[in-house]
Amino acid sequence: MELPTLVASVIVVSLYVNLGIALYGIFARPSLVKKLLAITILSDTANAFAVLVGYRWPRTGTPQPPVLMNTTNYNESIKYYIEHAVDPLPQALVLTAIVIGLAVTLFIAFVIIQYYRLYGTVNVRKTATSSR
Amino acid sequence: MKKSEICVIISIVIFIFSLAYITSLGGLGYLPPVDVRKLAQIYLASTYNPYQPTNTSSGYESVTAIIWDFRGLDTFFETAVFYGAIIASVAIYRGVEISSKKKSIGMSPIAKTVTRLSLILIPIVAASIAFHGHLTPGGGFQAGSVATVVIVLSIMVFGLRRLVQKGVTKPKILLLRSLGLIGIGLTAIGLVLAGLVIGVNAYIFQNQAKAMAEISYPMWIDDVLFGGSLLFFNIFEFVAVMAGFTLVLMLFSIEEEEVKKVIK
Repeated sequence: MELPTLVASVIVVSLYVNLGIALYGIFARPSLVKKLLAITILSDTANAFAVLVGYRWPRTGTPQPPVLMNTTNYNESIKYYIEHAVDPLPQALVLTAIVIGLAVTLFIAFVIIQYYRLYGTVNVRKTATSSR
Repeated sequence: MKKSEICVIISIVIFIFSLAYITSLGGLGYLPPVDVRKLAQIYLASTYNPYQPTNTSSGYESVTAIIWDFRGLDTFFETAVFYGAIIASVAIYRGVEISSKKKSIGMSPIAKTVTRLSLILIPIVAASIAFHGHLTPGGGFQAGSVATVVIVLSIMVFGLRRLVQKGVTKPKILLLRSLGLIGIGLTAIGLVLAGLVIGVNAYIFQNQAKAMAEISYPMWIDDVLFGGSLLFFNIFEFVAVMAGFTLVLMLFSIEEEEVKKVIK
């Protein structure tokens, strides 16, 4: 197995493990804070996965960030750029997803703090039992 | 450990192993891919193309070009979602005021002196990221996030009350946030308004001239690549993100006693 393939495979497997940890946190942990942490891990895993899907290892040379660095000889530069730059679309999607994700995470954190102030706990099982 | 928890763990492990097995069979294709998709090639080719002025976004940075030109309308609504989350957070804290009458304690004079230096340098870095967003990696989102570090540092080192005493209040930050969003909206319809005045067609979120809409934001000013609408979008997004995060972080830092006065 070539080195780039090996590294990509290790990253994919570690992302799957991250996904498992996040799902466990969301489904099994009763604490809302831990659920929020798990949701954050899940969204970060999805973002990292999107960036990995847009990554490339060109046939010749090394990958390049999606920024046109040289325009002196435009035709040659743009040809090299298209052949070596990674996919910019997942990066653009992830960029907005991170900022909006942070804003939504902050909002959920606010809700959890208010929940704690009202119920005195962030444990959903305790709250469910006490309201019966 | 409860039986239900064990069931959840076993289900997740089976799910993860299934995913890994599908990947090992080539479910994701060759890793890492050798080529990018056709759509990505089109984006890369049209980010900066001086020979096709109607098919370029006038910047060197493909990610910024996608965010604010090719998919500008999407990003506008994403910014609106971000704005909505901030407004929802403010709504939860309605009625809670930050008391500026009490004295702020803050950290030691050493920490305060070092922070004062950082408070000058960090906004410069943030502004640089925003202003060069169409040329180098960066843009409004990243610059706004960097600038928010100033507020975090100020709250931690000088205290929230000191910040309020200096005039950084909730209504002012909300106004700044709204101005950022209005700026994005105006940049989006800027060419349409200009087209109405001079009597030519233009599209919403248009950057450079298109067929039947021959009006553009400036691509070059002298020999500097200006980036057309990308520069304006980056600057306004910088303001909007910085103000949004500032507001939320200020709300987070309000003393518990102040909040409990309202909730009780």
